Amino acid sequence: MYTMGIDIGSASSKVVILKDGNDIVAGEVIQFGTGSSGPQRALEAAFEKTGLSFADMTKVVATGYGRFSVEQADKQISEISCHAKGIHFMVPTARTIIDIGGQDAKAIKLDKRGTVSQFFMNDKCAAGTGRFLEVMSRVLEVKLEEMADYDSRATEVVSVSSTCTVFAESEVISHLSNEIPKENIIAGVHASVASKACGLAYRTGLEEDIVMSGGVAQNAGVVRAISRELQKNVIVAPNPQIIGALGAALFAYDEAMKAQ
Amino acid sequence: MSKVETILANMKAVAANPKQAIADAQAKTGKAAVGVLPVYAPEEIVYAAGALPVGCWGKATKNISKARTYLPAFACSIMQSIMEMELEGVYDDLKAVLVSSPCDTLKCMGQKWKGKCPVIQFVHPQNRNLESANVFLVEEYKLVRKALEEALDVTITDEAINKAIDVYNENRQAVRKFLEVAADYPQVIDPVARHAIMKARFFMDKADHTAAIKELTAELEAMPKEAWKGKKVILTGITAEPDEFLEILKEFDIAVVADDLAQESRQVRVDVPEGDEPLMRLAKQWQNMYGCSLATDRDKDRIPMICDMVEKYGADAVIYCQMKFCDPEEFDYPLLYSKMEEKEIRNLMIEIDQQASSFEQIRTRIQSFVEMF
Ligand code: SF4
Repeated sequence: MYTMGIDIGSASSKVVILKDGNDIVAGEVIQFGTGSSGPQRALEAAFEKTGLSFADMTKVVATGYGRFSVEQADKQISEISCHAKGIHFMVPTARTIIDIGGQDAKAIKLDKRGTVSQFFMNDKCAAGTGRFLEVMSRVLEVKLEEMADYDSRATEVVSVSSTCTVFAESEVISHLSNEIPKENIIAGVHASVASKACGLAYRTGLEEDIVMSGGVAQNAGVVRAISRELQKNVIVAPNPQIIGALGAALFAYDEAMKAQ
Repeated sequence: MSKVETILANMKAVAANPKQAIADAQAKTGKAAVGVLPVYAPEEIVYAAGALPVGCWGKATKNISKARTYLPAFACSIMQSIMEMELEGVYDDLKAVLVSSPCDTLKCMGQKWKGKCPVIQFVHPQNRNLESANVFLVEEYKLVRKALEEALDVTITDEAINKAIDVYNENRQAVRKFLEVAADYPQVIDPVARHAIMKARFFMDKADHTAAIKELTAELEAMPKEAWKGKKVILTGITAEPDEFLEILKEFDIAVVADDLAQESRQVRVDVPEGDEPLMRLAKQWQNMYGCSLATDRDKDRIPMICDMVEKYGADAVIYCQMKFCDPEEFDYPLLYSKMEEKEIRNLMIEIDQQASSFEQIRTRIQSFVEMF
């Protein structure tokens, strides 16, 4: 039996096809989100890879900001529940999730069964999200995927203290014109993202294991900064970008089993 | 339309179009309108002056531009829209406005009123449990009374104030009774309707509101109670607006069984006590007020009060409606949050923003919250 999870975020679209609620046969990510061609392209990629089609899916669950735009979905489930479900599947010992996506950041507290017992979201402001890193990568002329490397060579963490993304950008520009090495500025940018995410995470009580997901979890610099701030070990979920879609596919599987 | 439907439709119409409602009330009674800013004011003195007290609680989805000149960016969202409306002349037909000063924002708002009508500002004492606090507040209310007499060109007698107190106490009691009864009829009194009834209170003559509420309550009581399959919540905060937010609660089968909103239940929580001297009676009402972020309470009784409400109404959760940039409420939140976590009471904080135009994030939060159960 195949089930599908579609996670349409603000900045990317993710599709997971699951076989028998256990094997991930496709996990596709397209870096374009809701309202773009991203969802369609992610679906096409998943179908092409597996040779499957919608007709083969017993159930489909959509999640993410664009979840109500998926016509084929049997059900819409919030990204909080889907992330929790996906993480619990990947890392059953997880009790705290820090998820940083393109446009929001969340901290989720799980109980032993992997059920959400509390959650906090920053969905009002670009500070502390993937968008913030994108803006910084542009002014620094360093590719997003290279930022972690730069961070690892930093000798100092330079302060980037503005809460507002636009002001933080000017702060970074003034660091650049003062010839502060990019490595140190990038470490400061990562520390700034970390402090916002940790502000949310502290409220959950921070039970271990702490697991990170979302696109930003692929940036080892941010992960290090979070771990440093929390003074705790932080596990990065395998394939962190598809966690929401995976959770949705798992819910789709539960739905299919219920229907049987 | 059934009687219940008719009353609800009337209340919704009043809440949705205060301007019309005020004009109607004025046409019927010939009364002048006096504005009353949040949160508490001795409206009875206004009523005793033969005027119609009108609540000024901002406007949902109001675009802010002119107000930016006069208010810091981090002033609460409700005062931003009130300032905008002041500058647009919305309040210019009022004979006066009453402004209390329980928080820094209101203290400053009263001092920089930009509308054309006179502003009457007064201060509630925060050392509330002292007898001298009452003496002080009586002096403040004397000034309010005098300023109203001048603005309206009338004499406000003690007798008239005592009568107004009776009208208001009756309204508060009727509303409290209604809220108790409504908790058993979530199918009929959904979150949007419940709010409309509470909001209409600000734009109707209290005696008319009381009559409608009593009729509605009696109609409800005559109806059979049905089991509620959705969730039951308690709302706390300053306001739970705009309606789009309440519509989302409806969409996810969430009933509001009780509230501790400044705009709603806190308005009717405490009656004015008996006595001879009306201004002293009104002062004592402030002394007796409890469970409010704006009334100093060293024991913070609001926290156990909300936890007790959860038990009393069999609520599944509490939604903390945090008015954007309202500091008194922000200070209370961590206290309540830790207590609720300790007692394993499900809770969710939602930011209330009168300027909000997109509600997708709120929908996600509410959906996630419902999925937690
Ligand atoms: S919402 Fe809060 S900060 Fe704003 S006026 Fe009311 S009490 Fe003051």
